[in-house]
Amino acid sequence: MPLLLNDIEMKFHDDQRAVLSHINFEVKDGEFICIVGQSGCGKSTLLNIIAGLIKPTSGVISLDGRPVEGPGADRVVMFQEHGLYPWLNVIENVKFGMKLAGLSKEEQRERAEYYLKLVHLEEYKEYPIHKISGGMRQRTALARALAMDSKILLMDEPFSALDKQTSNKLRAELQQVWMETHKTILFITHSVEEAVYLGDRVVVLSPNKGEIFKIHDIGIPRPRYVYTQDFVELRHQILEEVKGEE
Amino acid sequence: MSSLIFFLVLILVWQAAYWLGIDVLHIFRPYVMPSPIGVCTRFLELLQNGSLLKAVGNSLLRGIAGYFIAVCIGLLIGVAINHFRYLQKNLKPIILGIQTLPSVCWVPFSILWFGLSTRAILFVVVMGAAFSIAIATDNAIKNVQPIYKKAALTMGATQKQLYLQVIFPACLPELVSGLKQGWSFAWRALMSGEVMTTSIGLGQTLIMGRDLADINQVMLIMIIIIIVGAMIDKVIFSKIERKILSQRGLL
Ligand SMILES: Nc1ncnc2c1ncn2[C@@H]1O[C@H](COP(=O)(O)OP(=O)(O)OP(=O)(O)O)[C@@H](O)[C@H]1O
Ligand SMILES: [Mg+2]
Repeated sequence: MPLLLNDIEMKFHDDQRAVLSHINFEVKDGEFICIVGQSGCGKSTLLNIIAGLIKPTSGVISLDGRPVEGPGADRVVMFQEHGLYPWLNVIENVKFGMKLAGLSKEEQRERAEYYLKLVHLEEYKEYPIHKISGGMRQRTALARALAMDSKILLMDEPFSALDKQTSNKLRAELQQVWMETHKTILFITHSVEEAVYLGDRVVVLSPNKGEIFKIHDIGIPRPRYVYTQDFVELRHQILEEVKGEE
Repeated sequence: MSSLIFFLVLILVWQAAYWLGIDVLHIFRPYVMPSPIGVCTRFLELLQNGSLLKAVGNSLLRGIAGYFIAVCIGLLIGVAINHFRYLQKNLKPIILGIQTLPSVCWVPFSILWFGLSTRAILFVVVMGAAFSIAIATDNAIKNVQPIYKKAALTMGATQKQLYLQVIFPACLPELVSGLKQGWSFAWRALMSGEVMTTSIGLGQTLIMGRDLADINQVMLIMIIIIIVGAMIDKVIFSKIERKILSQRGLL
């Protein structure tokens, strides 16, 4: 049981209402968990707390039984904006985190090439970042995050800045990658479709209270398709919950 | 090409004005007006007896030495005022203030401390450039996109790694423009320093021109000061700037 959230509460200002409160859930080993909610309901805040980039007002997060204090390589984050370094090319970006960790040159290269292949970028590995498309940048960021082999991978709407077509393609690729690697992933999105498509479980945040409304088990076998009946029904139900019109 | 023609026309106009003002209308006395021919003659004379090259060489050496010290000090102060909130709040306003001082204001200090020596000149150069470099460094670091730092932190970067592998390369383009501006401050400060001493250099040759009432020499040295300063700017800094920007697709 790697990640445990225990009664997280977050207030940015003492006098204002809590952005998040009573957040309790766990992420199991090898699980793909999605968090959905309307814009402004506190999804990014929650992810930043888990990443250790901001401190919650109260509550405890633990990873493998150890409390989370500050950011670390065991919880790599992939952001909405790719955060790739423009002074490095594609493969150097993928190696970046491994270099920080002090891995040998040989291992850096091997892993980087393995993950670049997994995201179909092996031919672009020497390209500078400004010469590849937005979708390819997010794939590079994904390869960089995967190559870190962290205990859990945190993703904050990684595909939402892309056009619909590219974003659908990338999420299918992510599903494929996950089926091959079974990484533990916590994935944040405002798209219910994306959440139902990717998640083993989907955590629904209520629109205004900053609380967990419900946690769904998505029993649909993989690979999933958005037009099957059980998918459409579940998607419809969760969409209503997210909007808050039960 | 068109700028070359403009330049040639400008010189022709200058020569014509000189000829008109002195030989035809007799408005000016010849020894207060420089002329292109006079400047060229002086240029060839000073080139032949070797004193011009020596002056340029000496000034460049001093400029570069002073600039190098200023860069080291400036970077150090810049990083420090950026890193420590206490210094940001208390020291930065003072540095901002000092930075507005024209470099000549450091001359009395430097003479009292170091006499009429090369060290006195270096002191003026360092004081003239270091603070602007410090402020530029602070600003460059501030403008690093937060996402770059966040990404590195979640990949487990230590403070040292964050500075060396993220912040420094990320702020390099802006840092180089800051260093470029620092050079122009250093070069100007060098001249304020050199005019006060007797050690051979461009500033001293300029003052010698005044003492000899040789307006052509004064003009010549001014032109050379402009050319040398601009050359360093164009040949070194602009090249580095372009290279960094094009590597990142920003050009
Ligand atoms: N640093 C901050 N200081 C004060 N308030 C903040 C801060 N960061 C976020 N908030 C507030 O917290 C709430 C949740 O923000 P958050 O960014 O977590 O939403 P989100 O669910 O990620 O939205 P989106 O889908 O638009 O990304 C918002 O009301 C926002 O104004
Ligand atoms: Mg968000």
